[in-house]
Amino acid sequence: MPEHIALGKSLPRVDAMEKITGKATYASDVYLPGMLMCKLLTSTESHARIVRLDTTRAEALPGVRAVITGNDYPDIRFGSGALRDRRIMATDEVFYIGEAVAAVAADDEITAQEAVELIDVEYQPLPVVVDPLQAIRDDAVPVHEDLESFEGYGFAGGGNNCTLLDADRGDVVQAFQDADQTIEETYQSQPINQGFLEPMACVANVEPNGRLTVWASTQGPYQVRAQLASVLDIPLSRIKVIAMELGGGFGAKLRLAFEAFPAMLAMKSGRPVKLINTREEAFTLNGPRLETNIRLKTGVMNDGRIVAREAYSIFDVGAYLGAGPNAGVGHALGPYKIPNFKLRSYGVYTNKIYVGSYRASGVADMTFAVESHMDSVAHQLGIDPLDFRSMNAVEEGDISVSGARLPRNGLRETLQAVKDRLGLPKKMGEARGLGIAMGEWRSGSGPSTAAISVNEDGTISMLTGSVDISGSDTSMAQIAAETLGVTLDQVVVPKRDTDMAPFTGPSGGSRIVYSQGKAVQMAAEDARNKLMALASDRLGVPPDALACENGKVYVQDNTPQELTLAQLARMSLTSPQGPIVGNASLSSMPFAPVYNTQAAEVLVDRETGRVTLTRFVQAQDVGVAINPMSVVGQLEGGAVQGIGRALSEELQIDSETGRVLNPSLATYLMPLAVDMPEIETILINVPTDDGPFGARAVAEPPGFGPPAAIANAIYDAVGVRIKELPFTAERVLAAIKGQQPKAGFIDIEALLSGENPLV
Amino acid sequence: MKKPLKLTVNGEPREFFVEPYFSLLDALRDELHLTGTKKGCDEGDCGACTVLLDGKPVTSCLVLAHSAHDSQVTTIEGLAGQDGLLHPVQQAFVTHGGLQCGFCTPGLVMSAVGLLQENSDPSVDEVKYAIGGNLCRCTGYSKVIESIMAAAQEIRDGNG
Ligand code: FES
Ligand code: FES
Repeated sequence: MPEHIALGKSLPRVDAMEKITGKATYASDVYLPGMLMCKLLTSTESHARIVRLDTTRAEALPGVRAVITGNDYPDIRFGSGALRDRRIMATDEVFYIGEAVAAVAADDEITAQEAVELIDVEYQPLPVVVDPLQAIRDDAVPVHEDLESFEGYGFAGGGNNCTLLDADRGDVVQAFQDADQTIEETYQSQPINQGFLEPMACVANVEPNGRLTVWASTQGPYQVRAQLASVLDIPLSRIKVIAMELGGGFGAKLRLAFEAFPAMLAMKSGRPVKLINTREEAFTLNGPRLETNIRLKTGVMNDGRIVAREAYSIFDVGAYLGAGPNAGVGHALGPYKIPNFKLRSYGVYTNKIYVGSYRASGVADMTFAVESHMDSVAHQLGIDPLDFRSMNAVEEGDISVSGARLPRNGLRETLQAVKDRLGLPKKMGEARGLGIAMGEWRSGSGPSTAAISVNEDGTISMLTGSVDISGSDTSMAQIAAETLGVTLDQVVVPKRDTDMAPFTGPSGGSRIVYSQGKAVQMAAEDARNKLMALASDRLGVPPDALACENGKVYVQDNTPQELTLAQLARMSLTSPQGPIVGNASLSSMPFAPVYNTQAAEVLVDRETGRVTLTRFVQAQDVGVAINPMSVVGQLEGGAVQGIGRALSEELQIDSETGRVLNPSLATYLMPLAVDMPEIETILINVPTDDGPFGARAVAEPPGFGPPAAIANAIYDAVGVRIKELPFTAERVLAAIKGQQPKAGFIDIEALLSGENPLV
Repeated sequence: MKKPLKLTVNGEPREFFVEPYFSLLDALRDELHLTGTKKGCDEGDCGACTVLLDGKPVTSCLVLAHSAHDSQVTTIEGLAGQDGLLHPVQQAFVTHGGLQCGFCTPGLVMSAVGLLQENSDPSVDEVKYAIGGNLCRCTGYSKVIESIMAAAQEIRDGNG
C-alpha cells in the first residue's frame, strides 16, 4: 500500500474552526446597514379566490418601507421540474394554507408583523381536495382547473394527475399466470419534514450598480440565480447569489424558496431586506414530503425466484409539482432481478403545501414498501428473508430499470457484513425481533467544474461552485491534496459566489464527492501535469521520470534534483505557459449505484405497543472513503433520520383543510440523543471505475432502510405487519389487537380501474 | 422603547439598550452581534440558542433579556482562551467529527460545557440527558456523544 498524504484520513473539516467558535456566517447572521426585516402574509384558506387584497393600511404604518403582493411580479409561471405550474406569490387564487400572499419590509421585525396584520384580504372559498386517493379520481375536484395549459404538461391523465412515469419489461400477465404464488400488499408512508436546524433565511440588496445580491441559505446557488432571473424577469447576469454557510438542507434548499420576496422588496424599497422563516413557516410554507401510497404485487416460484412485479405508486405532491415521483418507477424493484415488470408512478395534486426534496425521500418511501414486502413474500414462501434477498439480488452485468448495465458493486458484501456482525441467523428473545432491509441509490451526477491554482508559496487554491454539505469541501480538498501530493492544510478553500466560481449543479443527491469531486481530481491532475511539464523543462529530464509528492516535484532515480511547488509556482509566472492553473468540467458521471444493508433489533411492549430500538447495524459500499470520519458521520446521521421516519416523525395534516397541525419542533417529533442506540456502521470498499480514487456517493442511502428494517423486526417480534408509517405505539398496539391498519384497505387498482383512463 | 441593560458577556461588562420584549437571544444577536448563538425555533424546542447564564445552560430564546440584568452570560464566542486555544469540548468536537452543518453546534457545546462543569466524569446516559434538549439533524448524535466523552477525559486528565 502506498502511503497517502490526504486520502482516507479522518481529518477535521476545513471549516471546523469557524464553526466551533461561532464565527461561521449563516444567512441569518448577515447584518447590513439600513437593513429592513421582512414578514409574510400567508393564506388561511385551502383553496380560494382572492377577491380583495388591500395593503393600504399596512403601507400607512410608520416604519413600513415596502409592501408587495403577487401583482408586483411579472405574470410568469415557473416550476421546479419540467412543469411550469406556479407563480412565485399567489395572485388571484390560493391553493393551500400557508401559501405566501403578500410580504412587508419594515424597519424591524415587530413593525413588519404588525403591518402584515393590517393587510386586508378577502377570500371566496373554492372546492377543496385533500386526500390524494380522492384527488386521483376522474371525478375529483380539480386543484388547478387550467392544468392542461401549463407549460411542460404532457400527460393527458385528467383529474389532478400532473405526471405519470412508467416502465415495462417482459410479459407480466403471462409471468403472473406462470408464478407459483402471487402476493399483493399496499403500503403508505407519511408526510414528513426535512428538519433542517437552520430555518430558511435570505438577505437581498440592490447594489449601486443596479445588480441584485442575494445572501442565501441554499444548496443550489446557480439554481436560485436562474429561477430568480426567471420570476423577476431580469437577466441572470444581473444577479449574484452568495451561498452562506448551510445549516442543513437535506433537499429542502435545492431550489428557489422565498428569495424572490426579499429581492422584490429590496428592489422596491432600495434597502437591504432580510427574511428569516419562523419555525412554523419552515413547516408550512414550502417543500416537505407528503404521503405516498404504494401497491406492490409480486409473482414468485416456490423455489424463491421472483418472476414478476407490478407496482402502482401514488405520490401526493400537494399544490405544485415541487419534486417528481421518479422513485415510484426507478425503485419499485429494489435491488433485485425481476425479469417481468409493470411499473406506474403518479404525481397527484391536492390542496396542501407542495412537496420538495428530502434526501431521496421517494426512494425511502419505495424502500419501505419493497423491503417490507420482500419479508412478507419470504415468510409466505417459508424462506429466510436474508436468503430470499440474497438469491434474488442483482449482480454485475444486470440491466437496471433505466436500461443501464450494472457495474461492479458491493451489494453482497454489505449483506454478508451485516450477517457476520449480528451472527445471523439468530434467535431473539420474547417480544424481541430483528429485521433487515437493503437499499440502492443510483448516485447523483450532473454538471461539475473545478479550478485548481498553485500559489507562489506552494499552497493550492481550490475553486468550485458547490455549496459545502456534509463536509464535501473537506473531502474535495483532500482529493486535491492527494493528487498534488500536499497536506490538507496546504489547500485553500475560498468562500465563493455565483460571480466568482464556475457553474455547477446543486449540492444534492449525494453527487458532490462522486461528481464534483471527480472534477476536482481532474483539475488537480491538470495542474500536476503542468507542474511536471515545467519541472521537466527546468530539470532537463522527461516528465515520466518525475514524481509530484510531499510538496515538490523530484527526479525519481534518487538524484538530488527537485523543485518545490513554491519554486515552480514562482517560475511559472515568467514561463511561456504562465501561472499554473488546472481546470476540469464534466456534465455527467457513469452509472455507479450504491448499495447498503441495514438491520434493526427491537423490543416491542405488547401492552402499550411501544417499540424500542435496541440495536442498529448498517453496512454500505462507499467505494473508497475519502474521509472515513466524515463518511461514517453521514451514514450515522442518515440512519437516524430514517429511524425518525420509522418511529416518530409525522407531519399531521387536517383531512378537511390540508392544514399542517403540528408545525413546531415540540410536536413534530425528531429523534433526540436519548432515543438513539449507538449506530454501528461498517464501510465496504468496492471502488468505482470512475469516481475520484474509486469513491461512491454516500449520503442518501442510510435513510432508506430503517423503516422497513424496523417493520420487519416488529413482525419478527410480535407477528404483525405494520404497513403504515410511522410505527407509533398506538398503531402497533392496534395491529397487535388485530385491528386492520388503514393502508390495508387502499385499493389502488379499483381507484384506477373502470372508466379511469389511467391504467 | 429600548431600555438600558447591563450584562457581563464573555467576561466583559456590557451596557446597552434593548427593547423590553427582546429575548436574551435577540439581544445577543441583534444588539451585540454575537451571532454564534443560533435561533433554530425561538420557542425553546431546539436548544440551538443555549448559552450559560450564571454558569448554567439555558435556552436564551426563552429568557427575557431584561430578566438577565446584572448576570454573567457565556456564549460560544467566549469559550476559547485569549490565546485562541479551544476549550476541550470545542477541540473534541473538531477532532471527533461532532459537528457537520454546525448550526446546532454552539448550543450543543454550551450544554456540554455546562454538564462537564458539574460532572467531569459523566456516563453516556448522563451525556445524552444533558443534551436531551438539543436537536441535531445531521450527526445522529453518535459523534456528538463521542466528542463530549472525549472532552470529559481530557478535562479529567488535566488538559482542560
Ligand atoms: S431557538 Fe431557543 S430553543 Fe430553539
Ligand atoms: S450538525 Fe447540523 S444540526 Fe447538528
